[in-house]
Amino acid sequence: AMAGVVRRLLRRGLGVVAEPPSTRQLREAEEAAPVFQYAGKAAGRKDRVFVWGFSYSGALGVPSFVRPDAGWKKPRRIQPTPYRLETEEKISSAACGYGFTLLASNTRDITKVWGMGLNKDSQLGFQRSRRDQTKGYEYVLEPSPIPLPLDKPQQTRVLQVSCGRAHSLILTDSEGVFTMGNNSYGQCGRKVVEDEIYSGSHLIHQLKEFDSRVVQVVCGQDHSLFRTEKGTVYACGWGADGQTGLGHYNITSVPTKLHGDIAGVNIIQVSSCGDCCLAVSDEGDVFGWGNSEYLQLASVTETTQVNVPRHLPFKIGKVKEAACGGTGNVVLTEEGNVFVWGYGILGKGPNLIETAVPEMIPPRLFGWSDFSPDIRVAHVRCGLSQFAALTNRGELFVWGKNLRGCLGTGRMEDQYFPWRVTVPGEVVDVACGVDHMVSMVKSFT
Amino acid sequence: LNAAPGRAPRQQVRFLPTPAADGSGAVELVAARVPVLADHPLVRGPRFRRLKIGAGHRLDVKSSGVFVLGIGHGNKLLTDLYNCHLTKVYTVGGLFGKATDDFSDTGKLIEKTTFDHVTREKLERILAVIQGTNQKALLMYSNIDMKTQEAYELAVKGLIRPMGKSPPIITAIRCLQFALPEFQLEIHCLHETQQYLRKMVHEIGLELKSSAVCTQVRRIRDGVFTLDDALPRTRWDLQSIREAIRNCQLKVETELEKTLG
Repeated sequence: AMAGVVRRLLRRGLGVVAEPPSTRQLREAEEAAPVFQYAGKAAGRKDRVFVWGFSYSGALGVPSFVRPDAGWKKPRRIQPTPYRLETEEKISSAACGYGFTLLASNTRDITKVWGMGLNKDSQLGFQRSRRDQTKGYEYVLEPSPIPLPLDKPQQTRVLQVSCGRAHSLILTDSEGVFTMGNNSYGQCGRKVVEDEIYSGSHLIHQLKEFDSRVVQVVCGQDHSLFRTEKGTVYACGWGADGQTGLGHYNITSVPTKLHGDIAGVNIIQVSSCGDCCLAVSDEGDVFGWGNSEYLQLASVTETTQVNVPRHLPFKIGKVKEAACGGTGNVVLTEEGNVFVWGYGILGKGPNLIETAVPEMIPPRLFGWSDFSPDIRVAHVRCGLSQFAALTNRGELFVWGKNLRGCLGTGRMEDQYFPWRVTVPGEVVDVACGVDHMVSMVKSFT
Repeated sequence: LNAAPGRAPRQQVRFLPTPAADGSGAVELVAARVPVLADHPLVRGPRFRRLKIGAGHRLDVKSSGVFVLGIGHGNKLLTDLYNCHLTKVYTVGGLFGKATDDFSDTGKLIEKTTFDHVTREKLERILAVIQGTNQKALLMYSNIDMKTQEAYELAVKGLIRPMGKSPPIITAIRCLQFALPEFQLEIHCLHETQQYLRKMVHEIGLELKSSAVCTQVRRIRDGVFTLDDALPRTRWDLQSIREAIRNCQLKVETELEKTLG
C-alpha cells in the first residue's frame, strides 16, 4: 500500500501529460485570442520618394553615402537599386539635372523647393555655408531648402521644376518662372554678363513676360523652353544646334516665341534633354527641332541641325506624349504603344542601334500578356542615354545605357530591352538625369 | 485486367508424326502449326501480377486536384513531361484575419488581425507586384545572356522559361473571387510546392497589413492535363482508365514534340 501511494505521488509530481486539446477547446481558445490591428479602415497610402544612381555628387540626397556617419559604414559610390529618401513634405514634382536634383512640393508653406547635388554654378540657389557665412556650398549632400524671392510666399504654389546641365527653372502658379544657375548662354532668360561668377551667386531671376500663363518648363542641356496655356512655345539659351528653334544659330538671352511649323498650333507638351527638342500638339502631331546628328529629325531633313520647328510626318497614330533624350527619342501613342527612334540602345535588342523611322516596342515587354491584356504604358521619360516607361499598373520599366548604375536594375550592365525595376510601391512619376534617377511612389496599402 | 483476353499464344512449326493417309501403318512426319505449350494460360499464370505506377508532380495531403500517374511504359513519358517544364494552374482559397504556424487553417493559431481595411483594389495591386517580380525571376533563371538579340526575341514572344532547376516561379496570378474575409486566387506556377503556395497566401496577408491563411489548394491543370481529363473517385475503374489513356496520348505526343523537338 505504501508503494502504491508513493507511485501515485510521484506520478502527480513528475511530468503532467496533458491530453491533446479537443476541438471545442481549440475553438474557444481561438475566439478568446486578442485581435491586433495594424492598419485602420481609413489608412491612406503614403507618398514616398526613391532615388538611385551615382551618389558622390550628392544628387541622391543621402549624405551617409558620401560622408559615412558611422565608422563601419563605407562610402557608397553607386546606389544600384531604389533607395528611399525621407522628405518632410509630399513631393509633387522632381527633376534631375547633370549631377543635381530639385524636389518641389505644391504646399503653401514658405519652403517649397529643395535641392541637392552639384552647386558650382548656383543651380540650387545660394546655400549658405555654416563654416564661412559669406561663402556657399559647392556640393549639397542633403535636400536643402531653396529660398525663392516670392511676393506672396504663403499663397503661391510651385507647380513644376526642371533642371538642365548647370541651370534650373521653377514654375509657380501666379508668379511666373524663376531661373537660377549658369547664364553664359542666356539660358536663365536674362542678359549675359561677361565674366560673371556663378558660384556662390544670390541671383534668382524672375520671368513674367509671356503671352499667357506658363504651364510647363523644360530644360535642355544649355537652353530653356517654356510652354504657355495658349499652346505657344518660348525658348532662350544656346542655339548653335538650332535647339532654340528661332531660325538662327545664335544665343538668345530673352525668352522668344517660336514659329515655324508650330505657329498657330496648340502644343500640349514639350520635351528636351540634350540638344534636340520635341513638341506634341493637341491633335497628336509631333514637331521637332535642334540637333539631328543622330537621325532624330532625319525623316524630314538631311541636315544635322534644324533651327526651325518642323512637323515630323510619322504614321504611327495619335501621339499622346513625347520624350527627347540625348541621342534617342521616344513617343507614346493614344493606344498605349511606345515608339523609339534615333541612335543608341533603343530598346529592341542589341541589333537595333540606329533608325530614323520610329519602331514600336512590343507591348509584351511591358508586362502585357493574354492573362493581363489591359496593361498599357501611361508615361514615357528620357534621360541622356536612358529611357523609362510607366505602366498604368504603376510599374517602372527602364532600358538604355547603364551609366554608373542609373537604371536601378541592380546590375551594372546596359539593358537592351525594357526591364522592370523593383520598387516597393506604385510608381507615379519618374525623373531621369544623366547618371541618377528620382521617382515618386505611392505605397501599396 | 487479367480477365481480359490476352495475347494469342505463339505458334511454332513442328513436325508431328501422323499415321499415313493410306492406312498402311507407316508413320509420316507432317509439318503443322501448333501452339507452344509454354504460352498456355494455365502454364503461364495471370499476365499481370504487379503494375509499375509512377507519379507526375507531387500533390500533398491537404491539397486536391489533378494528379498525373504513369503506368508501365508510360513512366518514360513522365520524365519527358517533367523536362518540358510546363506550368501548373491552381485555385487557392484564402481567409483573412488569422495567421497560423503552417499557413493553413488547420494549424496552431499564432495571431488574429483586423481586415476591414482590405479592398479588392489593394489585393489586385499586390498581385500585380507579385507577378512583376516573378516575371523578372523568370527571365533571370532561364540562363540566357540578357545582352543578346536571342534573349530579346524570346522575351518578345514570351517563350522564356527556365528549362532547368529553379526556385518556384509564379507566371500569372489573379483574383477570382473576393468576399471578405474569404478570397480565391488562380495561380499559374512552375517548380512549386503546395506549401509554397500557402506561404504565398500568408505573405499576401502580411503585405496588406493583415494576415491570411490558406483554406484550399486545388490543382486544376498540370501541363496538358486538365480537370476534364482527370478521373474522379467514382470513375476509378479499368474501362475509364483505358479511355483516359487513349484520349491523352495524342495531346502528350504533340506537346513533347513541340517542346523537346
